[in-house]
Amino acid sequence: MISVQHLHFGYSKKPVFNDLSLELRPGFIYGLLGKNGTGKSTLLRNIAGLLFPREGQIRVLGFDPGNRSPAFLQEVFMVPEEFHMPDVPLEHLEKHYAPFYPRFSQEQFRQYISEFNIPIEGSLQNMSYGQKKKVLISLGLATNTSVLLMDEPTNGLDIMSKSQFRKVMAGALNENKCVIISTHQVKDLENLIDRITIIDEGKILFDQTIDNISRKLSFQISYDAEEISSAIYHESSLRGSAIICANTEGEEGKIDLELLYKAIVTNQAKVQSVFNA
Amino acid sequence: MNQVFDFKRFTLLVAKHWNENRKKYLLGLVAMAGLLFFWYGFMLIVDGGQRIFENMQVMTYFFGLALTGCFYGSILFAELSSGPKAMNYLIFPASHLEKLVCGLLYGVVLFFIAYTLVFYIVDIPMVMLGNSLHKSNYPGEAVSRTTEIVNIFWKTYSDEGPRTDSNLHGLFILMYFAVQSAYILGSVYFPRFSFIKTTISLLLVALLISFYLAKVLQPMLPDGGHYMSLTSFRIFENNDFNQQKIVSLPGWTNNTLTFLLKFAFAPIFWVVTYFRFKEKEV
Repeated sequence: MISVQHLHFGYSKKPVFNDLSLELRPGFIYGLLGKNGTGKSTLLRNIAGLLFPREGQIRVLGFDPGNRSPAFLQEVFMVPEEFHMPDVPLEHLEKHYAPFYPRFSQEQFRQYISEFNIPIEGSLQNMSYGQKKKVLISLGLATNTSVLLMDEPTNGLDIMSKSQFRKVMAGALNENKCVIISTHQVKDLENLIDRITIIDEGKILFDQTIDNISRKLSFQISYDAEEISSAIYHESSLRGSAIICANTEGEEGKIDLELLYKAIVTNQAKVQSVFNA
Repeated sequence: MNQVFDFKRFTLLVAKHWNENRKKYLLGLVAMAGLLFFWYGFMLIVDGGQRIFENMQVMTYFFGLALTGCFYGSILFAELSSGPKAMNYLIFPASHLEKLVCGLLYGVVLFFIAYTLVFYIVDIPMVMLGNSLHKSNYPGEAVSRTTEIVNIFWKTYSDEGPRTDSNLHGLFILMYFAVQSAYILGSVYFPRFSFIKTTISLLLVALLISFYLAKVLQPMLPDGGHYMSLTSFRIFENNDFNQQKIVSLPGWTNNTLTFLLKFAFAPIFWVVTYFRFKEKEV
């Protein structure tokens, strides 16, 4: 569905990607993680056709995103971190966006809006940043595009809205849709994403499915000094040490995304060795 | 559906644009009418009850058109200057051509019509008011000396010069479209301070052309000057005005050159805007 081949990209004096390759398939929610300034948003903008590769190629559903053809744009929706929405009533927004997206569902839009506790009679002019973001997310999901790109979607959402977001997202995926969520708030994506891709310094540092991670790694709280010292990664906490170790039991447990992220960023080779074994 | 231009999608885009911007546009028209009323009112007061002469109407129309039209042109694609707006605009499922033509429809065609309507809505009652004030202030003057409502589309001779067949006002309008198209291109080229930067760019171009004509071309030509058209040159031999020679290029060259100067600038700038727009990144 999305193929990134040998992507080279950089801003005037700062290279961002140097020979980045990535394949993304439909039916999955991808979590794109990384530190600030590592190129997560840049990658999403390249996929959306808002930036053009300096070298290499990106194909999305067979389209070259850089052409920004209407047939491509009606299959891609982006929820940017900083966004703009026109100051119009929601009913007008729905009326004027719907014809441009062939699979737009008014019913879904109203359902998502209602789940986010936003009145459909309201106007964007009188809404807060968080409310506008929820409208944008609802709109993005209701367009039913094949590709949904979300850049820090939970920024600006309150605690209740974040759980509403996870609930709404979980119900919105189907086998034809590919969702890419870029964030550094890894906790917000727990139990939501199917695959984790971590970018650092323009390269893929880690790229595994959640199933694979559960099979290969075990996340525990330990008080055993020997176990802690032999762990792939450990971190002290008030209730013992949180550790990641190789999953030798074969029992699949809960993944602590934040811990995994820290482990990969601090010692990628050690984590990767478990997956290469 | 056609990926370059689809009429149905274009009409939907036009409707969406109107829905999102109508308040801004209607307020802009009201403000424009207010400024024109204020200007005419000011003229009537400072002139002590004189009429609003035709020349003043023409000057008001074209000065206002050039100023507001060029300013609007310079913000026509202002969405591209802000990251979030630019993303929303560029990723919206319509082609580049549809977005450009929609912008031109509002910024060039509808703006021109709306401005002209607003001008006449203000001009007609204010000219009539000026006439009646003049009549009451100067009761001894003949009734025939009232000011007419000016036709801003048509004027075939100038008050000072000889009668010619060229439509002076038509020429002004074409010049306006050419200059405005440069500001529209500027709105895509310069993300910030587009109006100021385009004005500076145009002044630099004018300066370069003047320099080229005065310092490069002029010394290469014999004594004399262009005569009646751009493709005829009159030469004075030995500085004697009675010994003249006229060198003319074939008539079609003059017609082609005049046609290009009148009609080609605006479309050329629009086409450049289209290609610049296509390669825009956020």
